Amino acid sequence: MTMQSRSDSPALPQRRPFAKRLLDGLKPSRLTVPTFLLAWSFLVIAPLVVIVLFSFLQVKAYRVVYTPSLDTWISLIDSGRWMAAVRTLRIGITMTIIEFVLAFPFALWLAKGCRSKTVKAMIITLLTIPFFLDAASRIIVWRSILGQTGAVNTALMSLGITDAPIDWLLYSEFAVHFGLLGTHFPTMVFPIFMSIALIDDDYIQASQDLGGGPAQTLFNIIIPMALPGIVAGIVFTLVPLMAAFVEPQLLGGGFVDLLGNSVNSALQQLKYPTAAALSTVVVALLGICLAVLVLVTRRRYDMASMFVAIRR
Amino acid sequence: MSTMTLAPAREDRAAARPQGRLGQSAGWKTMAKAFGAFALAMIYIPLIWLAVMSFAASPLSGIPYPLTLDNYRQLGGDARWVTPMQTSLWLSALVAFVCMVIATVVGRAITRLERPGGVILLTLLPLFVPGLTMGAALFIFLRSILELKLGIWSIFLGQLVWALPFCMLLVLVIASRFDLRLLEAAEDLGASPWRRFWDIEMPILRPGIFGAGIFGFLLSFNELPRSLFLRGIETTMPIYNWAMAASQQSQIPIIFSLTTLLVAVTLPVMGVFFWFLFVKLDKN
Repeated sequence: MTMQSRSDSPALPQRRPFAKRLLDGLKPSRLTVPTFLLAWSFLVIAPLVVIVLFSFLQVKAYRVVYTPSLDTWISLIDSGRWMAAVRTLRIGITMTIIEFVLAFPFALWLAKGCRSKTVKAMIITLLTIPFFLDAASRIIVWRSILGQTGAVNTALMSLGITDAPIDWLLYSEFAVHFGLLGTHFPTMVFPIFMSIALIDDDYIQASQDLGGGPAQTLFNIIIPMALPGIVAGIVFTLVPLMAAFVEPQLLGGGFVDLLGNSVNSALQQLKYPTAAALSTVVVALLGICLAVLVLVTRRRYDMASMFVAIRR
Repeated sequence: MSTMTLAPAREDRAAARPQGRLGQSAGWKTMAKAFGAFALAMIYIPLIWLAVMSFAASPLSGIPYPLTLDNYRQLGGDARWVTPMQTSLWLSALVAFVCMVIATVVGRAITRLERPGGVILLTLLPLFVPGLTMGAALFIFLRSILELKLGIWSIFLGQLVWALPFCMLLVLVIASRFDLRLLEAAEDLGASPWRRFWDIEMPILRPGIFGAGIFGFLLSFNELPRSLFLRGIETTMPIYNWAMAASQQSQIPIIFSLTTLLVAVTLPVMGVFFWFLFVKLDKN
């Protein structure tokens, strides 16, 4: 039927099917993408803007008072909550550095050193699975490993290395760092792995052919080309670290109060503006990180290359 | 492939140069593997220990002996986790379904844009926002500004904001390898828009869409920080686990056995999914 009608009108100008095709192809996207973006902005952007504004408001007798004031911010500084912000920043940056030191060589090996596709796939799978596991039960186990009567102390004492259990293993900053380590490792590895996988082997080969040593190849070829991935890895690791609350709550034993715990307790005490102000700190940090990311990535890569990397 | 053929040549060169690459590379490779193994151990030791201790008489003691099935028996006798489990199951199924639909419809529209960069960045924005911040922001927005009563629907929205970017990413990865000329060819052969979508586009997108469903389900099923604020008076499985872990010591044995069962279900699903993603897609 269609064939018939087509051959019936071969004299039609070339433009019409083209215009028709254009309509067919574009009509859904013209409506869907803006509609989606509108709904998405309402769900994602609006709340983030609202909390920044909300931190300048007050709640009196369970009602929001719509007069701008700096009271929340002042009380935040007076009450010493800013100490939590400093501590969060310190632990966040320490953990980001640790993760980077661990993840960069590993990502380099995974992208360029690992020849077996099966091993590569297995490692990627192993790194992805923790995304899908419940945080609370995963972290609580550390208590039974690091606790006074936990596995580590029991082992140490029965081996005669120590007489008394080491008590700084649990309910300390050390324990919190330990808990955070596993949770935030994959987010550092993946972006770096993808950006290194994108680098053409010929560049590395050329650097060696021109007499560059391994260090020169690393610093002049690999690191500059992997920079977007490195920045993305740092952002994806640092940002969630700024709002970690499961690990400090379960492993910190009340000694390690981070921003996340402060937001949590402020909301439980119905101090909404305080929670909003604390979240604003996180959002501000996020904004800075994103700006840096965009500036760095704009030069060399467009978003499309990210997908090429994932495919490899 | 090119690296395989180049390998022997590279070895020769390395042998010729004293400070060549091979000697050095063996060193850094061992270090890289050791670092990776250490980090993976940090992720998986708790999981293995969780499974071991779920058979221990007192899971928090650190000594798995004596072995017992008491925790599992207790789990069977306790009904409090059943309702959160049911809520989580159907809520996650709903999130997964909605993610599949939106990711497909919007994902294939995005690939037809001339400059998709900005749209993709906006879509992926929730990945950059910590869960707790997003939860607090949505809570204040919905509860204090719009003055709505929170419940399952707000947990749903919070989880959607979290899961959809991942699902979208999956569909986009698959859709970006799709050659739009195939559709033009189909059209030239007289296929209707629906046929073109269903017979040409759908089979190619299918792995991405199924992946989106699995990701959506699992991400939603284990989501804690957003649900915690948006829950109203509802309880999902992760919220229950969190409440047990954070407060009542006596209830902890139950979450050990419960999580072990959940991990036992989740791991094979993930394994099969990734096997599909890497082995099957690699062949195409």
